[in-house]
Amino acid sequence: MKQANMTSIEGRVVEEQVQLTLVELCQACSAEEEHVTAWVFEGVLEPAGDSPQDWRFGGESLRRARLALRLSRDLEINPPGVALALDLLDEIAALRARLQRVGVR
Amino acid sequence: MKFKDYYEILGVPRSATQDDVKHAYRKLARKYHPDVSKDADAEARFKELGEAYAVLKDPEKRAAYDQMGSQWKTGQDFQPPPGWDAGFEFSGADFGAGLGGDHSDFFEALFGRHAKSGPRPHMHAQGQDHHAKVLIDLADAYRGARRGISLRMPMLDAQGRVTMQERTLEVGIPKGIRAGQHLRLAGQGAPGLGGGAAGDLYLEIAFKPDPQFRADGRDVYVDLPLAPWEAALGTSVTAPTPEGQVQLTIPPGSAAGRQLRLKGRGIPGTPPGDLYVTLSIALPPADSEAAQEAYRAMGKAFDFNPRAQKKG
Repeated sequence: MKQANMTSIEGRVVEEQVQLTLVELCQACSAEEEHVTAWVFEGVLEPAGDSPQDWRFGGESLRRARLALRLSRDLEINPPGVALALDLLDEIAALRARLQRVGVR
Repeated sequence: MKFKDYYEILGVPRSATQDDVKHAYRKLARKYHPDVSKDADAEARFKELGEAYAVLKDPEKRAAYDQMGSQWKTGQDFQPPPGWDAGFEFSGADFGAGLGGDHSDFFEALFGRHAKSGPRPHMHAQGQDHHAKVLIDLADAYRGARRGISLRMPMLDAQGRVTMQERTLEVGIPKGIRAGQHLRLAGQGAPGLGGGAAGDLYLEIAFKPDPQFRADGRDVYVDLPLAPWEAALGTSVTAPTPEGQVQLTIPPGSAAGRQLRLKGRGIPGTPPGDLYVTLSIALPPADSEAAQEAYRAMGKAFDFNPRAQKKG
């Protein structure tokens, strides 16, 4: 086990300060462009811009794209299935948050 | 090393057909997928399922596994008999699919550690982006902080063997960060090849479990127990917040479960979150003659039947 020197660094909050191009998003989550394009088509990701070259993904897309990748790889779900699963997971998260607000853990 | 009964893990008999195995795996994988399940051990269960399926879905590996016999039970101490796989030819398909080839000792003793087969790197290429999850204190999100984090990364050494390299980074945690958000550290991923730029490192932020506070987005929740007379008559109490104590006015007639909102006392931001204080009522124990007398006096003083309201 090698120990590297301590470095001190500042990061950027992806969700608030970062926009990603198609190439950057693919690099960031090790996904194929073809998959990301299919997810955009299904509405899983909603980039600004008209054509894939102009797409700009908000930082929140990183979490969604990684989730989409894991679901499609681990459970062999196709893009429409991934879109449905993400919608349902969002809905469950919103319902859980509501339960928490009224004091149910 | 402990034996793993892959049939038991998938819940199928040893006579199961390949279709049965696939069906059982799919069903359990959906149930225990860590992105879907809230079970605390979902991730471990899912890895175990993936490993069992990697062996049983492949007729070659399944046959090799089967010939060790059915007398073994999960958790028994186990060493593979010498030459146990003699006569089996594995076609070398990638096991590493799924959760990145992170398998048990048992699996690796039987089937070996297989290098992940990724796309071949180009001679000149940007390094891969890496991801890691870090746990921070909720207070760090309130104030901002500098935190040392340790990361372990598999690296290929000069002989092409996989070794674990540990490195420590001191990272600035920005004020206002929330659970589930990512920090991008430029150039801290895998080194580039042939002069290519290094990849980035993405840190997914999660809060350490806290006995008092729980966060939901920017909002933070805390429970505050009150004595019955405090709740009934109203009072001013010292309440905890992640930023320290505040003085809180409890209105008279506060019922258990009532929430008081402290606007802007959640995680900072534009707009900041709120802090929700959920009131509960704790009864003092009737463990002395004086305490019992006080309860009896209360019983006399009130014409109160807590079950009467239900009928209405």
